[in-house]
Amino acid sequence: MLSMKNVSKIYRTESIETHALREFSFSVNEGDFISVTGPSGSGKTTFLNIAGLLEEFSNGVYELDGQNVTNLSDAQRSRLRNEKIGFIFQSFNLIPELDVFDNVDVPLRYRGFKAAERRKRIERVIDMIGLGSRAHHLPSQLSGGQQQRVAIARALAGEPRFLLADEPTGNLDSQMAESVMQLLEEINRAGTTIIMVTHEKNLAKRARRNIFMHDGRVGSNEPGLHLAAASA
Amino acid sequence: MEIGPIWRAMLRNKTSYLLIALQIAFTMAIMVNAIAIIQERSRMMARPSGVDEDNIFYLSSIGFAPDFNPRAAIEQDLDALRKFPGVANAIVTNTVPLQGGGWSQGLRREPGDDKENIGVAVYFVDEQGIDTFGVNLTGGRNFTPTEILWFDSEGGGPRWPDKTILTQAMAEALFPESPQDVVGKTVYIENDLPVTVIGIIERMQAAWKSWSKVENAMLVPMKRLESAVRYVIRTQPGYRDEVMPQVEKMLAESNTGRIIRSMKTMTETRQRSYLEDSAMIKLLIFVVSILTAITGLGIVGLASFSVARRSKQIGTRRALGATRTAILRYFMLENFIISSVGVIAGAIIAVGLNIWMVQAFDLTPIAWYVIPLAMLVLWLVGQLAVFGPAHRATMVSPAVATRAV
Ligand SMILES: Nc1ncnc2c1ncn2[C@@H]1O[C@H](COP(=O)(O)OP(=O)(O)OP(=O)(O)O)[C@@H](O)[C@H]1O
Ligand SMILES: [Mg+2]
Repeated sequence: MLSMKNVSKIYRTESIETHALREFSFSVNEGDFISVTGPSGSGKTTFLNIAGLLEEFSNGVYELDGQNVTNLSDAQRSRLRNEKIGFIFQSFNLIPELDVFDNVDVPLRYRGFKAAERRKRIERVIDMIGLGSRAHHLPSQLSGGQQQRVAIARALAGEPRFLLADEPTGNLDSQMAESVMQLLEEINRAGTTIIMVTHEKNLAKRARRNIFMHDGRVGSNEPGLHLAAASA
Repeated sequence: MEIGPIWRAMLRNKTSYLLIALQIAFTMAIMVNAIAIIQERSRMMARPSGVDEDNIFYLSSIGFAPDFNPRAAIEQDLDALRKFPGVANAIVTNTVPLQGGGWSQGLRREPGDDKENIGVAVYFVDEQGIDTFGVNLTGGRNFTPTEILWFDSEGGGPRWPDKTILTQAMAEALFPESPQDVVGKTVYIENDLPVTVIGIIERMQAAWKSWSKVENAMLVPMKRLESAVRYVIRTQPGYRDEVMPQVEKMLAESNTGRIIRSMKTMTETRQRSYLEDSAMIKLLIFVVSILTAITGLGIVGLASFSVARRSKQIGTRRALGATRTAILRYFMLENFIISSVGVIAGAIIAVGLNIWMVQAFDLTPIAWYVIPLAMLVLWLVGQLAVFGPAHRATMVSPAVATRAV
């Protein structure tokens, strides 16, 4: 349901060309939970950005949910992001001037839902992340873990097919990271496909599949990483 | 449509928005009152003087020779002027509208210095006065040549002729209850000298443009015997500029016992008379333009800063599904809200300021439509000013969401 064939991404600056992805081929099945690992600069974020339609690619074919997205207009890509993809970022990316409720509301407004529908969805996801009593707190009044939960709620409110997370626990201590991880696992069990970039091996191995990136290419499995699902 | 969250976000970041809104408010208040002043001055400048301004010029003749004969000079000059090619008509008189200096008198409906006295500007003319000034006789009749008196300030004779022609405004001031029926009525000058109104002219301004009763004027059938007199000359349409130097030369040469001075057109006279007002209008337009430009630049500055500061937020919104149009709309809408607060506050300040100015400077109150007009202008300025930065915001890549720290 998400497949890339020979996708390349080249960043050009005046002095150098960086091959962030080289003939990258990869596919994801419905309901998968994939961890992406690899050294810094290996192209993990690039892959995630292309998968999430945040960036265009130089060559190759990318199909999302059966649709070839290679030649879509900017507005069409925005619409697809809004409907099919939820993003979770390392530094949460909540809008600082908006409270929890309004933050979760942001993608729903772009979706064009009516006020009653939005309210229903917002209340449901805020309850799910356990912050129902803090709907009108500002991000600055929440802990990092809570902020990331709000970001997850925001990503989920539109009921996307995919959840893309770039080091979602990178700014959290291990206890908060664990609770975020548990939340992601729960979401995956409920049917949402997740692709998560992480540096932490013990989180990476809790995924169903791992892809190990190196210099813009996919290795099969990270050496020495034994997936919990595989061993179970 | 997304006013709610934009408004709430702005409330959490009040100061800079408030400063811009305040700037818009003050610009609006000043703009509205400047427009009120401009309108008032323009109205004043647009008042017709009643005379044929395009074709009239005037000059002074000052006799200096010991044997200078005023009466002979006037008779000879008028004769020569009226025959001069290109000249339509000419008279000897004391002043012209807008000139600044004139003769004022008072008229009463009843004799006696305890009776109400209404101020009036006096124009001494002969039977050619109406034609020369190009004023419009709307009632009664003109003077006949035999009704014109010579007045010698040194000799005896009657001080005032017993006939006059009034402007419509003067007739209304004297007889407010029957302004259409003034011809034939007797009024009194210098307390108790009776004067019969024989005609009405539509309009002729006094020489003083700021006088509140500027349209109160009377024509008096008299030529004053003085060595310094003023001739008013109306040319055939289009011949004024050509005829002026010729007339000046002819007069100077025809009688060497006097000099010709201060030749001016009515057009010049009007311009000089309203010099201060047109300067004021230009100054106000300049000040308001500058203020509006500064406000516009302030909006550009604030919006640019806010786009730069929020680039990660913009990228995040794009990642969450905002189209470029949605981003553009966000900043346009945000500006619209600031502008709205500004212009509403501005309308209140403007009205307050106007009430004070009306009392302090005797200004006419602003026309109601100036307020919505100024609001519209400032809304437009705001939207134009914010468009550049807002457009820049739409160019923020959604990848900024993951790349920016
Ligand atoms: N906008 C850009 N312009 C030029 N080069 C870029 C740009 N973005 C990324 N790169 C380069 O592309 C390569 C891949 O970057 P990417 O961010 O995908 O790595 P990563 O695996 O996510 O690294 P990290 O673990 O440090 O986040 C790097 O060499 C990086 O310098
Ligand atoms: Mg990265």
